[in-house]
This record gives sequence, C-alpha cells and structure tokens, in this order.
Amino acid sequence: MDEELKRKIEKIYKDTEVEFPERNRMVVKTKKASILSILEFLKREGFRQLKAISCVDWIKECEFELIYHLAPLNSPLHIMVKIRIERKNAETETILKIFENAKVYEREIHELFGVKFKGNPDLSPLFLENWHDLPPFRKDFDTRKYVKKTFDEIPSVEDRNERT
Amino acid sequence: MDRKNILKWLKEPGKMGHKYSLWAVYFCTGCGIIEVPPTITSQWDAERFGVIPVATPRQANLFMITGYVSVKTLKAIIRTYEQMPEPKYTVAFGSCPINGGMYWDSYNTIKHIDKYIPIDGWIAGCMPRPEAIFIGVTKLWMMIDKGAATGYIRYRKNYKFYRRNQEKLFGKLPWPPLYPVDEKENKNG
Repeated sequence: MDEELKRKIEKIYKDTEVEFPERNRMVVKTKKASILSILEFLKREGFRQLKAISCVDWIKECEFELIYHLAPLNSPLHIMVKIRIERKNAETETILKIFENAKVYEREIHELFGVKFKGNPDLSPLFLENWHDLPPFRKDFDTRKYVKKTFDEIPSVEDRNERT
Repeated sequence: MDRKNILKWLKEPGKMGHKYSLWAVYFCTGCGIIEVPPTITSQWDAERFGVIPVATPRQANLFMITGYVSVKTLKAIIRTYEQMPEPKYTVAFGSCPINGGMYWDSYNTIKHIDKYIPIDGWIAGCMPRPEAIFIGVTKLWMMIDKGAATGYIRYRKNYKFYRRNQEKLFGKLPWPPLYPVDEKENKNG
C-alpha cells in the first residue's frame, strides 16, 4: 500500500518528495501552494483523521516548518505532510474546509509561533494571558529576560511589612 | 485529646472548631494533586485529621495549592480564594509555588505565589509525600492555636498591595475589589 501511494503522489504532484524514515512512517515534503490539494487527495485515499499540526522554527534558514500529521483509521501508517513558510510575515491558507478540527490547532500555532492562517475566523489567544511580547515558542524569544521583566519586577507584599 | 486543654477550649471554642475541621477546597493545579487521592482515601485517610475535600469554595476553609501555577490558573485561584468564608488558611505544596522550582525561567509560570495571595504554610518537596501533608496539617493546628495563621487578616489589611500586584500581571481585573481599595475614601466615609 505504501509504495503504491508513493507512486500515486509523485505522479500527480511533481514537486513533492516522499520518504520512509521508519517502518509505518511516511514523510511528504511539498510546497506551500499545493498543501490544500494534497490534503484533500490524502483524505480521499482514506486518511480521514488529522491528529495534530506541529510547527518547527528553523531560525538559521529563516523558515517555519508546518507539519500536518494524518492517519487512517484502519492501518498503522502515519503520514507527515511538511511545508516550509517564510519567517517574516508567516502566512498560510487554513485547512478548515478539509479538516474541521484544525481550528484549535491553528489557533494554538498562531498564538505560540505567530503564524497567520488566512480564512480561520477565530485566532484569539488560547493559553496566554495579557501577552504583549513576541510569540513565546520562537527561537529568538528570550524567556529569562521576559521573566526578569514581568515576574521579578513585582514587589513582595510581606517584605514591605517587615521594612516599615 | 487532652483533658487539660478542655478549659482552654471552653474559653475559645471557635479555635477548636476551626482546627479540627479543616475542609479543603478540591482545587487541582499542577502535579501535586496526584498525592491528594491517596491522602484522602482509605490508605492514609485524611479524615483522621479533619481534612475533607469539598466541592465548592463556599464550604471550605483550607486551600491547598498543589503544584505549579500558570498565569491563567492564578486568576482562578484568586477568585476561589476570595469566595471562601473567613477564617481561611492557605498551604502551598512543593517547590513550584514557593520559588518557581524547575520552572524558574518559564514564561507562563508564577514564581512566588505569596506576591498575589497570602500563604500560611509551605510544604517543601517535589512532590511532598502524604506524610508531609499531615505534618503540615499538624503544624497548621499549632499555628491556629497560637493565632499565627493570619493569612486572611493580612490579605484584608494589605489588600491594596495584593490587588496592585494582581493587576500588574493581568491588566485590569474583571471583578470588583473585595475590600475597599482607596484608603482616603475610607477615612472620609
């Protein structure tokens, strides 16, 4: 099944690479423009479950890598569809029309990495509270500096009593 | 129970009541709540010490903060604490609420919880075992006897400063202040 699927994908999408890093793992590297059609094709092939969307910050190459994890319900094969987007003005199309549960995953990645998903109606903050800094999962965000700036600046109430 | 203490209890019966019925609000934060189910069930049986978990903060007077506190959880903790009737006692579990613990440079974890709500007792450890919880509870008894567990009084007295610290973190808080904040208004009124 795996080899057949590989031949099919490479026949339709000319600029994609298909690899097998392990048993039952399949990596499809593709371009940003063809992500919607390739996901639709895979869904028609039986990969009906979107497990997660993850994001990697490749800061030296100035790129974000978005990984869409797909799985069929009746076989152990796990597909990772990878696309690369630019780090400046990171933007890509939403996949809400194909997988509805992507709504929360996209919201989370928008909050933690700052990637914009065009067409997603709700990209409001999910975990963070009163956040005005860089998105925290970016590699150039300095957590130690942020901690010093926000948490360490707040004075202790009990110490104030002892002094006066 | 000691018969010698009966006279003392008759003088201040309220203290004995608070001491032997510490009802804990069942509020779970972080990993410390893993230690609580064995503590309250038959193996260690916290009810020997008068500690029962209750569902709502309106019935509770012991608040155990069991583990690391994220910024969003702190908001819920403050609301829960302010709903509890007085006298109320707070105990912080483990190293994370004390000074951040292993999350000392995390962007979303509170480092010193006593900057935002008053804490009566600290139990060190990562995580403390149920025996440590009982030692903490008996220490809290002694503090109640001496009148040293005064977290809620300190909160009322320094409410202005606690509220200011909370607002530094959250921006403007959506609920009104529990006690009057401006001291000048108080004196005039």
